[in-house]
Amino acid sequence: MNNQSQAPVVEIRGLTKRFGRTAVVNDLSFRVEPGRVTGFLGPNGAGKSTTMRMILGLDTPTAGRALIGGRPYRALDKPLHTVGALLEADAVHPGRRARDHLAWLAASNALPAGRVGETLERTGLSSVAGKRAGGFSLGMRQRLGIAAALLGDPPVLLFDEPVNGLDPQGVLWIRTLMKSMAAEGRTVLVSSHLMSEMALTADHVIVIGRGQLLADTGMRQFIESAGPGASLEEAYMRLTAQAVDYRADVAAAIPTETRGPGR
Amino acid sequence: MTRFAIPLAVLRSEWIKLRTARATYIALIAAFVFGLGAGLLDVLSVTDHWATMSAADRAGFDPVGDPLSGFQLSELALGALGVLAVSTEYATGMIRSTLIATPRRAVVYTAKALVLGLFALLASELCAFAAFFLGQLVLRRQHLDVSVTTPHVLRAITFAGLYMAVVTMVGFGLGALIRHTAGAIAAMFALVFLIYPAARAFEGSSYLPDHLALANAASALASIASPTGPHAQRIPSFAFASFDLVLYLVVFLGLGAARALRDA
Repeated sequence: MNNQSQAPVVEIRGLTKRFGRTAVVNDLSFRVEPGRVTGFLGPNGAGKSTTMRMILGLDTPTAGRALIGGRPYRALDKPLHTVGALLEADAVHPGRRARDHLAWLAASNALPAGRVGETLERTGLSSVAGKRAGGFSLGMRQRLGIAAALLGDPPVLLFDEPVNGLDPQGVLWIRTLMKSMAAEGRTVLVSSHLMSEMALTADHVIVIGRGQLLADTGMRQFIESAGPGASLEEAYMRLTAQAVDYRADVAAAIPTETRGPGR
Repeated sequence: MTRFAIPLAVLRSEWIKLRTARATYIALIAAFVFGLGAGLLDVLSVTDHWATMSAADRAGFDPVGDPLSGFQLSELALGALGVLAVSTEYATGMIRSTLIATPRRAVVYTAKALVLGLFALLASELCAFAAFFLGQLVLRRQHLDVSVTTPHVLRAITFAGLYMAVVTMVGFGLGALIRHTAGAIAAMFALVFLIYPAARAFEGSSYLPDHLALANAASALASIASPTGPHAQRIPSFAFASFDLVLYLVVFLGLGAARALRDA
């Protein structure tokens, strides 16, 4: 990524996803700007992962659009050059070696083979490059997922729960990584349930509940809105209290948020 | 979609996937061990007992079909490889990585099918020719061998390989359709082996189901002897058996595509 000011904006416009009669994402609109880390928050089932999947073209929206630099994901040619994504850490064949997993990904987007070694180095996986992913700890699998996201040196980064399973060093590493990526002018969207971690990482927050936008504001303003001396956690709890109550009543009718295809 | 091309990059990517999966090597070893081994046992048994064999048994002997008799097991191994080449992507969640890297599903599906199909065809032909020549080495002891230049011999060997490649792709189509490894392998097994007895139930009214059964098509394609006895009516003509291959390929690749092009 050379030109710092040109990282694409991620833009969600009236995005809606229904499974049967249930709207998991309901007329959602927001923009993710370059140059800062945007935290993506919301209770379980709020529609965060579904929104991420629609941004990445994995789910087709019922209505509305998700655009990256003005184009839908599926229209991107060699998308790893533009967007790096970490979804759940299990998007890897357990029998395949870490190096080979990155090799097929790199080949699919015509990335030079040297990127595999560089990315393994960058994510601290060089020493286990020849090991099969199935034997990895959760933290190592998470690093492999992040390596896959960084492979194309993309200006847009989407991370779904990136610190899950990471040890304190790993948490610090990913926090530093995301901040430095944003400082380089990239567009960074990261979802998490860890409020204290988000308060340290994100510059901007987007909060959704019941598939709808609850807040889209700077981190400081968001925290201050909860009153003097409040924490991000308190601000978040106040905002989402109703959304969570509503969820609990209809939980049985709603597909699980991480609707993986593998079942 | 205005333009449909399969980028070389995606083909390369699918080739890396195929050659870095353990299942590929296991299936290949199984196909060769069973394919060559069972054929070898068959012709060894024929040459050992030729002197005492009945005229009917001698008439049933086929110097091309017998060395290829292990293919019933080989096709199972390659069919399973076809299933696994696609079902593991769904079972492990890896399909999301694939579709993030290559969002156009039709491109992914076609590239996968092309790479696997070509690989299966090469492996199957290699296995068929190896089984044939190995068999002739043994048959020579009793002067029962045939030359590859004998009429229909080359055709039978080539189509034996082609048949196995088609079974691999039927497995692939079922894997893409069903997405669960065990379910797709069971369906493939039923299709290849259990259709045969099922088709016989219709014999009172029609031999068409027999002619559509893969096992009977294989008998027509991979031999040079004309079928004899009551079994003969079940075997389709060479042309009909070739049509069977095309039919199975189109139907199962089509069914797989219908599902693969929809949700991940």
